[in-house]
Amino acid sequence: MFAAISAVSMNILAAQDKPNAEEGKKLYEANNCGSCHALDKKVIGPALRGVSDRRSEEWLKQWIKNNKKFRESGDADANALFKEYGGAAMNIFENLSDAQIVNILEYIKTAPKPAAVAPKVEGAAATPQAGGNANMYVMLSLVGVFLVVLLILSKVKSTLRRLAAEQAPLDYPLDSSNKPWISKWLPRAMQNMNPVVMSLLITTIVAVFALGYLYKFGITEVGVQKGYAPAQPIKYSHKLHAGDLKIDCKYCHSTAEYSKQASIPALNTCMNCHKGVQKASTATTDEISAEIKKIYAALDYDPEKIGAEAFGNNPRPVKWIRIHNLPDHAYFNHSQHVKVGKLQCQTCHGPIEKMEVVQQWSTLQMGWCIACHRNTGVDVENNNYYKALHEKATADIKANKNKSKYFSADGKVRVTPALNGGLECSKCHY
Amino acid sequence: MSNTIKYWKGEEELARDPKFLAARKNEFAEALPLDEVLSEDGFELNSNRRDFLKFFGFSVTAVALAACYRTPVRNAVPYLVKPEDVTPGVANYYSSECGACSTGCGIEVKVREGRPIKVDGNRRSPISLGGLCAQGQGSIASLYDTERLANPLKNGAEVTDWAAIDAAISKKLAEIAAANGRIAIVSSTINSPSTLKTIEDFKTKYTTAEHVTYDAISYSGILSANMADFGKAVIPSYNFGKAEVIVSFAADFLGTWISPVEYSKGYAAGRIPSMDKGMSMHIQFESTMSMTGTNADYRFPIGASKTGLYLASLHNYIANKTGATQIPVAQTAEAAGNAIAKAGDALLAAKGKSLVVCGSNDTNSQQITNAINMMLENYGTTIDLTNYSNQYKGIDKDANALMLDLQAGKVAAVIFYGVNPVYTDNAKAWENGIKKASLSVSFASSKDETAGLCEYVCPDHHYLESWGDSEPKAGLYQFTQPTISPVFNTRQAQVSLLTWAGALPVLEKDPFQDKGILSQKHHTSPYYSYIKNNWSSKLTGDINVAFNKCLHEGVWTAEAVAPTVPAYTGAAASLAAGINTKTSGMDLVLFTNVAMRDGSQANNPWLQELPDPVSKVTWDNYVAISKSFAAANDIAEGDTVNIKSGSVTINSVPVIIQPGQANGTAAIALGYGRTAAGKVGGSKEIEADSVGKNAYPLVSMTNGNRNYVVSGVEITKADDTYHLAQTQTHHSIEGRDLVKEGTLADWKKNKKAGNNAGDTHVYTIWEKRDYLKDGSPNHRWAMAIDLNACTGCSACAISCSLENNVPVVGRDEVRLRREMHWIRIDRYYSFTNTAKNEFDGNYVTKEKEIKAIDHKQGDKGEYNHWENVKVVHQPMMCQHCSQAPCETVCPVLATTHSSEGLNQMTYNRCIGTKYCGNNCPYKVRRFNWFRFNDNDHFDFHYNNPLGKMVLNPDVTVRTRGVMEKCSFCVQRIQEGKLTAKRSGADKNDVKVETACQRACPSNAIVFGDVNNPESEISKLYKNERGFTVLEELNVQSNVMYMTKIRNTETV
Repeated sequence: MFAAISAVSMNILAAQDKPNAEEGKKLYEANNCGSCHALDKKVIGPALRGVSDRRSEEWLKQWIKNNKKFRESGDADANALFKEYGGAAMNIFENLSDAQIVNILEYIKTAPKPAAVAPKVEGAAATPQAGGNANMYVMLSLVGVFLVVLLILSKVKSTLRRLAAEQAPLDYPLDSSNKPWISKWLPRAMQNMNPVVMSLLITTIVAVFALGYLYKFGITEVGVQKGYAPAQPIKYSHKLHAGDLKIDCKYCHSTAEYSKQASIPALNTCMNCHKGVQKASTATTDEISAEIKKIYAALDYDPEKIGAEAFGNNPRPVKWIRIHNLPDHAYFNHSQHVKVGKLQCQTCHGPIEKMEVVQQWSTLQMGWCIACHRNTGVDVENNNYYKALHEKATADIKANKNKSKYFSADGKVRVTPALNGGLECSKCHY
Repeated sequence: MSNTIKYWKGEEELARDPKFLAARKNEFAEALPLDEVLSEDGFELNSNRRDFLKFFGFSVTAVALAACYRTPVRNAVPYLVKPEDVTPGVANYYSSECGACSTGCGIEVKVREGRPIKVDGNRRSPISLGGLCAQGQGSIASLYDTERLANPLKNGAEVTDWAAIDAAISKKLAEIAAANGRIAIVSSTINSPSTLKTIEDFKTKYTTAEHVTYDAISYSGILSANMADFGKAVIPSYNFGKAEVIVSFAADFLGTWISPVEYSKGYAAGRIPSMDKGMSMHIQFESTMSMTGTNADYRFPIGASKTGLYLASLHNYIANKTGATQIPVAQTAEAAGNAIAKAGDALLAAKGKSLVVCGSNDTNSQQITNAINMMLENYGTTIDLTNYSNQYKGIDKDANALMLDLQAGKVAAVIFYGVNPVYTDNAKAWENGIKKASLSVSFASSKDETAGLCEYVCPDHHYLESWGDSEPKAGLYQFTQPTISPVFNTRQAQVSLLTWAGALPVLEKDPFQDKGILSQKHHTSPYYSYIKNNWSSKLTGDINVAFNKCLHEGVWTAEAVAPTVPAYTGAAASLAAGINTKTSGMDLVLFTNVAMRDGSQANNPWLQELPDPVSKVTWDNYVAISKSFAAANDIAEGDTVNIKSGSVTINSVPVIIQPGQANGTAAIALGYGRTAAGKVGGSKEIEADSVGKNAYPLVSMTNGNRNYVVSGVEITKADDTYHLAQTQTHHSIEGRDLVKEGTLADWKKNKKAGNNAGDTHVYTIWEKRDYLKDGSPNHRWAMAIDLNACTGCSACAISCSLENNVPVVGRDEVRLRREMHWIRIDRYYSFTNTAKNEFDGNYVTKEKEIKAIDHKQGDKGEYNHWENVKVVHQPMMCQHCSQAPCETVCPVLATTHSSEGLNQMTYNRCIGTKYCGNNCPYKVRRFNWFRFNDNDHFDFHYNNPLGKMVLNPDVTVRTRGVMEKCSFCVQRIQEGKLTAKRSGADKNDVKVETACQRACPSNAIVFGDVNNPESEISKLYKNERGFTVLEELNVQSNVMYMTKIRNTETV
């Protein structure tokens, strides 16, 4: 950034004579003025449009360069302004030359006014969908109903035919061989089979396939919410924050290293940035983003006001929808995996930095846990706790003893959690 | 030696009662209605094939429809502003003080996400020394009791506005004071400097106010005796740790007397035998078998009304030898076995290092006790009157005088704080008195017997919601701080008093008060400021820093003062007059037990279900009678009796034939029979049956003190029978020897004395576990329990239940042997080996002999052998066998073994065959017959959302149909390991304490990693006293017990 600033200042030196709004804009952005100021509305600092009308240029130069010194010099206006904004001091910009300040002021003066934008109507939050595919159930039950109807109809038909035959015997046999209708479709060899045996056979074959499918379905699908991506009350984008802005996961999920829960951040964490950052990343105006407004609403925070006055007395916590739901009898500890196991968040949560809407990436089934415990190496070398285990493993491998134990499923030699009791029941169930 | 002593848990087992033997063979306590099911008798259903098809079809449809149900959406609601000190998922610990009784143990409160879930002793507190009794452990459940008052009451109706109540009461008080009417504050013992100042402030405003202390369980006798002898109406500090010989006359100092946790810590330390110091000797004289009596080396049964005479005899025996003045009493008493001479000699041999205590509330007896201790030069060593105790201060005379005035209508206003006199003795007098007062206020947190009669009830906070300070001993201060925001619209009693006195500190208007999320940081109580102001004169430096340090530590001590020998003004000659020498029929002892104490926590189901340490009875009190009385009056267990003393009768009280009960005496516990405790303890208002019978009406005033011994009581057999929920023989020992004991003399000669190894089967088909092999890199978790230290107090059981979400099952389920406690304390009786002494031929070694002896003695009308039993307490929980019988029989591998020695129980895999429970030799597995946490039939707090707040979030709540058992607190092991791993600490630095160990007031339980050579447990594993129970089965259990060593001549 400094390089950028110096490059910009070089250019300015060349054309010092008249104020340059374009250079001013660059400086405005390079110095992150926008993180505390907007042109047409109060953010952390006052709205800047018309500032040259309110204050003299000399005053502004002194204030912008070092407002602290300026205030200490006893300037009444400066101190009044400081007090008005609840004692939130502005940063010091000794690096800006007078000419540069003039350029910035020129940019503020000439910046175009935003066109009026109709307020967006906030869409009702979509109802979250958890669990299996409802359409499939509808289809299956319809098919079932049709089959039943078909069965009843054919039964009615045969009954009618039988009754008709009883009342007015036909002169020809009802059925050539009195065989069930289905036998016509069977291979010739089976056509003379005892119908009871045959129907049992068919039922068994169908049942085996049906049960097999159900078993697989039951084992792998029921209760598994992989891909579950409910609409959240605030459309928070991990792609933007973790991906584009490269904010560390643990900045928000700060307890992941210390606690069993990674925990959803409290809204004061959001406010660390969003007290200042109020626009959407795609916004063209100074309008506060609808999603950020939801944070303010939850905190009952009025961005137009300053200090304690900004907080009302009706905060409402945000009810996020829980995506990863382990059953109560399974104990999982984030700090064990993040701090001790040194796993990346993405190992279990997938490419979270690319997700606009977060979804459950892994199945969270026990087999999935176990597979990882069988194959992942524990860093026994760099943690004193594992010293005894490390020594034993080294000695064993050297002496060619119990060596098979140290081969994990992929054939590599490593000390896995499984080797250290990581597959035992009461490591996770108690 | 163990193979010659016959141990037994109950008479039914000892006498091989045929009914008991038959029932023992059954898996279930009640017969399953199998025959009925098979023959289809007793079933109204007339089902046939078609019905079967209908049900079948319906079930299939129901299952299919249920499968279409969507997984419910679950929410996660984070803080708006996370408090800095709270990390979700990580517990915080705060120092505070237990408020369950006025003893004032320092505690450490475990708080998860803003709700307290466990209390344990604060190690810095000299009162608790890190331990905590069953009542203290259980008191956390009272916080989440839905029957606490949610709002103040006026004439029984809820008022939500405190201001309205305050205005009305202040106006009334002002009127009364103006008319010179008396205003009485009746409280239990208050030793809080700030509360006392509050009352002073109240008195300043209302000059006619007075403060009277009324303790339901009174120590008025000691206070008056010390007033007479030393000019100080205080209780001294007793140092049981320093005493080499302890003689107790019916003082249950390990269970309920004054400061039991502190005494247990000291006592147990002196009970571990060592080569140079040996161990202390404990002699107990008492009528009924108290928990303390079960721990005595020598226990002599005596008639309760003769305590004074026995004391005088002991006094004169010692005076005779030391040349001091004797008490001129005509009679002398001598218990069988030359008890007085034995005790006197032992005490004299340990002069200056001995201790005589007396549990009687009789001033004269306490004065004789003082005289004995004075002769023995125990003041300044084992008895400290300089740093005296403030734990109990109630003088019965004063409270009685107030009661009489109140009854006579001489008191205009009465305020009850921490007392419930309408439940205790003289209920009628208090009741009439309250009705005559023109203003009556109670600070009770529930609508108890007294509060129900009061015009106003201004519910006090639970102690976990309160601010406070205390001075339990001179110069020792402790602090209470809130660990949760008030659950209900209650208010601390001190705030109420200060409001009415107009002395409440006015807090500066908080600029953030109505500022939503900002206000949460700025929530303070005016009483906090009040206390802090009081402390500003005592503490040096910045008061904020110094006071925060006090809160953090929980304890602040003034400069230590060395104990001195006080000036004694008593005279032995004057003590003769007060000694009872008359024989006056049957003595009934009114005692308190560790679970209920004075009865104030009767609505606490955990405490109600705690088996009494001696009788193992839950959910009831009973009359303990002696075997000879039972035989003479043809009373058997299961019968009930009527008790009559003067005009007071208590009908249909169930009986227990208590081994060790002195002939001619009986005993009944106080604290039961509440009529306005709530749905658990009993309440007339909601038609909930009382638990047990109220014995307080039998308490009378004798010589100015409340007397807990009733003489000349008539006990007659009643017509009805009653099935007590008694757990004593639920998990039968099948006649095996599970405990071992030896004598100190033998132990000094041979450290393995009494610990002769059983006949171990060394063959096994199983491989040796890895963690048992040399050089194993694994932990090996194990426990060691010292039978010499374990007093039977049962604090561990409550601690375990709260740590591990163990449900309460209720009286009916206990009767069916379905109690769920993961840790139980097995109490084994054995007859005192008196073969070499006076009861020749009473030497019971084989089970069949008891009937012969009973017969022989019974013919003479004597059952003296039943009076002389000794006891071993053995905590029993899952032994985590390395070759566990339960593991091999589980058909679904729900119970398996870990590489660290734990026997793991996996609830989600269990299908409830109960094979494991049947195959367990220790009978420590418990089956969940019901979904206790969500079944309103078991209305014991877990079934409502508030009660569930006490659940430990790290432990699964088990559902119906699965087995459960002690896990060695695996959640704590995992947490300890993880803490070490996170910081990269050495494997041997892992610190784990199980819940039972943490609670233990006598340090009897040690837990740790045997594979760590530096650990305490690995050292104990090498101790010669160590043995494993049922070693001969070669199950290789991971719990080591230390042989009990008695300081007696013979075992």
